[in-house]
Amino acid sequence: MKIRTMHYYTVAAFQSFWRNRFMSVASIATVAISLFILGIFMTLVANLDYFVENLESQVEITVYLKDGATQADIDSVGHRLQALPDVKSVTFTDKNQAMDILKERMKDQPGILDALEGKNPLPSSYEVTFTQPEAVRRTADIVADYPEVEGTHYGQEIIEQLFKITTIIRWGGIALIIFLTLAMLFIISNTIRLTVFARRKEIAIMKYVGATNWFIRWPFLLEGLFLGFIGGVIADIALYQFYDFAVTSIHQSLAFLPMVSVYPFMYRTAGVLLIISMVIGAIGSTISLKRYMKV
Amino acid sequence: MIEFKNVSKVYDNGSVALDQVSLHIGKGEFVFVVGASGAGKSTLIRLLSHEELPTEGSVLVNGIEVNRLAKKSVPYLRRKMGIVFQDFRLLPNKTAQENVAFAMEVIEAPRRVIRRRVREVLDLVGLIGKADALPKNLSGGEQQRVAIARAIVNRPLLLIADEPTGNLDPDTSEDIVEVFKKINHMGTTVLMVTHDKTLVDMMNKRVIELDDGKVVRDEQRGGYDDEN
Repeated sequence: MKIRTMHYYTVAAFQSFWRNRFMSVASIATVAISLFILGIFMTLVANLDYFVENLESQVEITVYLKDGATQADIDSVGHRLQALPDVKSVTFTDKNQAMDILKERMKDQPGILDALEGKNPLPSSYEVTFTQPEAVRRTADIVADYPEVEGTHYGQEIIEQLFKITTIIRWGGIALIIFLTLAMLFIISNTIRLTVFARRKEIAIMKYVGATNWFIRWPFLLEGLFLGFIGGVIADIALYQFYDFAVTSIHQSLAFLPMVSVYPFMYRTAGVLLIISMVIGAIGSTISLKRYMKV
Repeated sequence: MIEFKNVSKVYDNGSVALDQVSLHIGKGEFVFVVGASGAGKSTLIRLLSHEELPTEGSVLVNGIEVNRLAKKSVPYLRRKMGIVFQDFRLLPNKTAQENVAFAMEVIEAPRRVIRRRVREVLDLVGLIGKADALPKNLSGGEQQRVAIARAIVNRPLLLIADEPTGNLDPDTSEDIVEVFKKINHMGTTVLMVTHDKTLVDMMNKRVIELDDGKVVRDEQRGGYDDEN
């Protein structure tokens, strides 16, 4: 492609942009808003994933022993737990200690414990922590099969609940992405259609004097790419500002909540959004050109 | 130069535009195509430029079978022919010479070549003095001259004119036909569709008459409505 031809394309694309400035601005706004919403969803899902992962790495297993366990049983379980891979620490809690802890916690409502009539229904237990988060579930399954063990508990309910929420958000996000993509395609192709309509005479003449289809197509493709690009950049800037602000203010009020750090996550997300916006711009203009390219 | 072999064209709505037309037009000929509205004259042109494809038969331009041409080769076929329309089809926001240059720009000719060649053809059609005028400031005849200049600027082998004088008064029409004659003398084949009896009679060139999609007359030195 010759430099002068590229110059022609660029001038033609910007002329069209200016001629239909109202529609151009409307398309850019639609792209920007859609991509911003898309970006919010991507950020939300990424943070939920991060949160779940974080939670998993912090969990410890509580291994409840059967009530009739002898001291030998207790020691034997303790040794076996120590020997398992990726185990960081093993702490024993006697059933009497467990009762003391419960009493301490319930000291404002003494009536409840009176109902036990001096019996202790609490089991003895081991608290196991890990060096690898992946080891949690695996170890819990192994330990549950020990004959001396009543059961294990590692907060799986919470994690599974969170997984469910993430899945729902992910699917909702995909539905939303499809909807927003269609909206973006619709408005961009309509804007380019106006341009094509304004230039239909020019296109017809170009065809008659033997311009190739690609020569005719490029200015419109450029215009679509440009609309997408500007919309994408606006969405990126807005999302960056938004997330930066969100991270800062959440860290101030809810310091324990883990969040994906702005860098490099935001750069990657911004890049993805920009690529999406330009692809949609290109497809949008191709759609509206199709009808006029025959002759 | 042009060859129609048993060409028929039936449109989707069932109307028969051309019915078993066979024609041969040699290199450098000047041919009038006459006939009533709807006789198939415009279809003839559209088949040459690959705007329409024949339902049957084959169309050859300069040895190339147009109806078998791959889509991406169509632009290169059109570079071999110039087309002039009744309504001029100039771009209103471009000057005369910009309109002519546009035809060379879109086929990516070098800028220096464009400048020289544009002046050459504007001179040929007698408009060198109005090179910088916008179409709205030119008379109908002048606008058609610009259109002719644009059609021949890329040195086509074939110049096709679809009712080029349809919007012009008789005197201007004669001038325009003189321009075509001049171009023809320089070796370009000219195919002119027209309703203008005076012009055809005056020129005394080959006349092909279409009626209801058939060639009903093909005379070497004919008039508009010769019967013998």
